[in-house]
Amino acid sequence: MTPATLRRILIPVGFAIVAILPSFYDFALQGLAGRAVAAALLALSLVLLTGMVGQVSFCQYSFAALGAFTVGSLVVGHGVNFWFAALLGTAFAGVGGVLVGIPALRLRGLLLAVLTVAVALFFDVFLLAPGTWDGFSGGTLAWPLVPFPSIFGHLMDNYTFYLFSLAVFAIAALLVWNLRNGKTGRVLRAVRDSEVASSTLGLNVAGWKLAAFGVSAALAGLAGALQAVATGSVAGGSQSAYSFQYSVALVATITVFGASSIFSATAAGFFIVFAPQLLDMIPGLSHNWWPLILGAILIVQLVTSPDGVVVKTQRDIAHLMHRLAQRRRPAVAAAHSEAA
Amino acid sequence: MHASLAAALVADLTTFKNLLPTGLADGSVYALAALGLVLIYRVSGVLNFAQGAVATVSAFVAYQFANVWFQNTGYGPWIGLLAAIVAGGFMGFVIEVFTIRPLTGRPPIVKVAVTIGWLLVLQQIAGLVWDFTGYHPPIKLVDRNSTFPLPGTDVHFGLNQLLVILTALALAGGTAYLLQRTTLGASMRAVSDDPRGARLWGIDVDRVTALSWIIGSAMAAVAGVLITPFIIFTPFSLTLVVVNSFAAALLGRLQSLVFTVIGALFLGVAEQVPATFGYGGASWRQAVTFSVVLLALWVLFRPGNRAVRAV
Repeated sequence: MTPATLRRILIPVGFAIVAILPSFYDFALQGLAGRAVAAALLALSLVLLTGMVGQVSFCQYSFAALGAFTVGSLVVGHGVNFWFAALLGTAFAGVGGVLVGIPALRLRGLLLAVLTVAVALFFDVFLLAPGTWDGFSGGTLAWPLVPFPSIFGHLMDNYTFYLFSLAVFAIAALLVWNLRNGKTGRVLRAVRDSEVASSTLGLNVAGWKLAAFGVSAALAGLAGALQAVATGSVAGGSQSAYSFQYSVALVATITVFGASSIFSATAAGFFIVFAPQLLDMIPGLSHNWWPLILGAILIVQLVTSPDGVVVKTQRDIAHLMHRLAQRRRPAVAAAHSEAA
Repeated sequence: MHASLAAALVADLTTFKNLLPTGLADGSVYALAALGLVLIYRVSGVLNFAQGAVATVSAFVAYQFANVWFQNTGYGPWIGLLAAIVAGGFMGFVIEVFTIRPLTGRPPIVKVAVTIGWLLVLQQIAGLVWDFTGYHPPIKLVDRNSTFPLPGTDVHFGLNQLLVILTALALAGGTAYLLQRTTLGASMRAVSDDPRGARLWGIDVDRVTALSWIIGSAMAAVAGVLITPFIIFTPFSLTLVVVNSFAAALLGRLQSLVFTVIGALFLGVAEQVPATFGYGGASWRQAVTFSVVLLALWVLFRPGNRAVRAV
């Protein structure tokens, strides 16, 4: 059995398990599962940027805030249809991404990281400040009750909204998968590896980078719109779930799991939401320990194996399959292990 | 109409004059943190995202000494400052020796990711040990209420503001002296220019790099202690200092000590400008910082600017 066949079997099975399992959960846990899918979508937006274009962004949660605040403002504050608001929020975030991408065109690597830090803190202090949105929400608590949307006249609940989010994530993952393995993926990798070489080949480097930024931010905005409903509230200020801290934790998590894989995005999303909850159950610890543990894992892992946990596991599985296939030919296996 | 406009402008200038000491003091703190950042970056090529977190933990160590253990002695704050410097230097040492040095030869982004890990760890330690949201009294090295006018003007400086400004200038001068006039400084510049060449000349590159992290982190510690009277002192508020010091360091092109200090003072004063037009508060200050970062990246780091080393 080759890794590709294994993948073809494991992905649908895993997907089915992930889809059916939360139907046995209670209401609160289903809400958490919904948030986990939104976080996974956000992680996917970062994978698109980091793993494929080689750019780091510390402001993915700021783009998510654009989506979430659009939904909060329009749906709760003005009674607009969720679907329209989510679409608008996604578009806003996409435009925001292109705007951040313009100065980023001239920058690479660390300086771009600094720029996105500045963007995130600007969002935190300026746009998410308490009171900024009072005119839109009519109160200081922003939008405490974001309702579930209805689909074909059927009002969603936690579980159906979770299923819907999962479908959105699957489509987005497929999009990123196709981007990576198609012509676009080759173009983006070329841009990542050498901008000069790409431009001599006649590639529009600036255009591709802006497009990557725009699509990544739009995915983040969509994740924010989903998270607004899954969480049930959107708030700025100290209660904001979209601040710089969360973006840093997202970058750290995706680095731990491996920044170039769709699987690691999925794992990272569930990890971000459920790890703090699990820590709350352990006596003596609390969710406040999570960034500490995450940071420690990140440091240890980077110093020992810089590729990421998921990528390493995938490689180990591939290696194991290889060894199993080799077992039928002992002589070759012996030669192989000798070489290793 | 014209008279009232003129009156408004005069009023603004008066406000500005009153805010000038605040701006210069803030700028001096940014300068201290940024100098440490530039020193570390020049020698080891790592942009230290944990600089603000090191400042946070150091400031809380100082708080522990000054306001808890030596609360009722007259010299508590000074013991606190000393402890913070030691703690800051120790953190810099641990970060470099145990987590940056094993990554020698790896791309810079991996090392930066390690400092992000430290940012999370250190900040959370500060929050878990000293409480995330509670009120922490600042470390009062000098009397907060004594002020005196700048000779010949009616601009009043607070004693603590003056302390920060003078400390920053003194440490900037000290760093410049260290780099230009001492053997260690020459070694640091050699490592900065060409680590392999420096090793061939018999320079202990590991030792020089570790020392740059120790000194740079100790400067962050001083910045952390000195800023406490000017801010709401919590584990998260100090982390915001990091982006201001980034802005200042960018204005110095991550290389020049002089322009880093000038840039930091400029940034501190510029942050007060919106307040003179009646737009006070953290959000407008952050808007200024953001614009400065954007402008610095746009103008100073444009491709082909040979004054800037590739990052």
